[in-house]
Amino acid sequence: MNKFLGNKTAILLFIMPALLLYTVMVFYPIAQTFFRSMYEWDGLSEGTFIWFDNYTRLFQDGLFFTSVYNGLIFAVIITITQIGIGSILAFAVADTKFKGRKILRISFFIPVVLSITVVCQLWLSIYNGEYGLINKVFELLGLEYKQDWLSSSKSAIIAIAFVNAWQYMGYHFALLLAGVKSVPEQYMEAARIDGATKLQAILKINIPMMAESYKFCLVFAITGGLNAFANMFIMTSGGPGTSTYTLTYLMYRSAFRVGEFGYGSAAAAVLVIECLIATLIINRLIARERISY
Amino acid sequence: MKKFALALMSLCLVFVAACGSAGNNVANEGNKETVKEAANEETKTEEAKPVKLRIYAQYADDDTKLPYDYAVAELKKEMPNVELELEVQAQDDGQKLKTYAATGNLPDIFGAGLDIISTFKKSGNILELDQYVEQFGFKDKMQPSAMNTLVTDDGHTYAFPYAGNEFVLLYYNKELFEKNGVKVPTTYDELMTAVKTFNAAGITPLSLFAKEKWPTVSLFDMFVTRNEPQGIKKLDKGEASASDPAYKEAAEKIVELVQAGLLPKGATNLNYDQAAALFHQGKAAMFLNGQWEIAESTKHLGDKVGWMYFPGTDAANYEASKYAFSGGGGPGGYAVNPDTKDKELAAKVAAFLSLKYAEYKYTERGNPLVATKVDKAIVTEYPPMMQQLSDDIAKISSTTTFAWGLSDAKLKAAIEDASQSLMTGAYSAEQFIEDVNKAIPAAK
Repeated sequence: MNKFLGNKTAILLFIMPALLLYTVMVFYPIAQTFFRSMYEWDGLSEGTFIWFDNYTRLFQDGLFFTSVYNGLIFAVIITITQIGIGSILAFAVADTKFKGRKILRISFFIPVVLSITVVCQLWLSIYNGEYGLINKVFELLGLEYKQDWLSSSKSAIIAIAFVNAWQYMGYHFALLLAGVKSVPEQYMEAARIDGATKLQAILKINIPMMAESYKFCLVFAITGGLNAFANMFIMTSGGPGTSTYTLTYLMYRSAFRVGEFGYGSAAAAVLVIECLIATLIINRLIARERISY
Repeated sequence: MKKFALALMSLCLVFVAACGSAGNNVANEGNKETVKEAANEETKTEEAKPVKLRIYAQYADDDTKLPYDYAVAELKKEMPNVELELEVQAQDDGQKLKTYAATGNLPDIFGAGLDIISTFKKSGNILELDQYVEQFGFKDKMQPSAMNTLVTDDGHTYAFPYAGNEFVLLYYNKELFEKNGVKVPTTYDELMTAVKTFNAAGITPLSLFAKEKWPTVSLFDMFVTRNEPQGIKKLDKGEASASDPAYKEAAEKIVELVQAGLLPKGATNLNYDQAAALFHQGKAAMFLNGQWEIAESTKHLGDKVGWMYFPGTDAANYEASKYAFSGGGGPGGYAVNPDTKDKELAAKVAAFLSLKYAEYKYTERGNPLVATKVDKAIVTEYPPMMQQLSDDIAKISSTTTFAWGLSDAKLKAAIEDASQSLMTGAYSAEQFIEDVNKAIPAAK
């Protein structure tokens, strides 16, 4: 081993392909984004270097705050629903006494495999103000609570967040199920012998031991929520007006609709920083030490 | 050890290279969406060398496919040595074309609107066509009323136009108005009465595909033109503020009408098909769209459909602003890549295609609103609504522009978003004014 680690050329050669790929595909574009965010640039011509003017403008732009706010709402909703319901489903399916586990395990995962466009079209019909499923259900129940789910500036972002939450719940379910299964059986046995109830065992043994799985899920859900784009692009095009904008959408609008690539890059840079901060905080707070069974 | 490491390294590289080329193949597949306009006709004895030109043009529905096919067929007769390789224009706010320009991959000829013209002008990706306009005598071939589609604000020509000035029309279902005893509105008050009566009868007063944002801008513009004939164009030039009375009143009126139930539920999420279906099936009394809707509405509703002059603030205003139309045209058409091999040839092909494209629209598609003069007889008769419009053209006192004709991209995005928000009824005229004013450019 020592001989191997002593061979610096070999180490360099081995990490080179991955390092090269990472630099070209990830690091260079991010660096470019940060660099270009200091330009007034339309994506085609030369562009002028303007230091931090784009950022100053961004922090004075009402749309920026709408976007950040929507990103946070989106992240909170999908985190709570995906991880919350995902956990319940995972614990239920992991229970050997539970009937129909196999079929449930597969069906929970189906939405994840579907194309996001298909899912959005499906939910567009469900949310439709005139003949949508939800409003029809209210009608059948004799309730007057009919809503214009996607056309009201207040409810639209929440409605869209639930679509994403529904679709990727299965993903988190699968991750958490793997987490539940990796907790060694003897811990549960010991708990049973000590007289712990099912719920107690889950709360006191399973969840703490699955901290790493939860950390992973949290990072995924929160960063996924902050940079949400496809759902609103397909379902509302950011509308009504600008009420379902997120930072990614703001970036898209600035770069492609308005032709301000520099400003769009500034929005992207803020998004990268936002996601990095979220990831750092999660890493700090949860599962700081590696759990080994 | 070293040998082993080297062997492994080369294996990695081979793998990476394989991945890379696989990716490229996929990208190339994508590019191959191009439809080849291969010459199947008898090849005449070639006088000139065969030339292949790449063209990026609209080719989506009958209204764009048929004229294009006709123009290409005519080109084959006129210039048999030219072969066109068509790439279908994507509906993507010009992203694909801009990417082509940024990567030095711009087609020889491309369809360009005002947005593309102003961006490419700055980056030097569009050929100034003034000398060719002169050389081909293109000015004499233009409809005098459509000269604005040939020359941009800076006095130069960047594209050979085919589309003339088009208009926004307010269509209505005559039968529904009669059945419900509603007078075709001439004033805002009558419009409000109509909205209330239709709602009481369970009919949607006005169907609007507000998911696309331009119809909402056009609706706003129609209200504005009652008192300010230049409408949103004046904002675009930076000569007016959204807080000026004409704009403020228009926004207020829309909010009031939307709150009274002017639009169908979830209007901001209706696409064209859904909104048009409401009107075509007799579930909505009015519909707003460009004059190109005439054929489709006539097909579904026959003589039950008509278009009305937009209601005014009062009877006197109605008469005074009757011919202040919303909509219009702007510079656009087939443009040429400045880096193309044979500029003159590409310009000649572009000019020829525009002329023939317009000719087909005029003779076969029942559309008199083209940019260029057509001396051929009409094959397809105009539907009555087009006849009415055609009779009115000479009387039209002013036009504005569609949202896509706005030259300031920032204002365009802002007014599109703000107008769509107006359609929710939960967005006040004050907010509208604030959001639009932020984006109004400095006067030029």
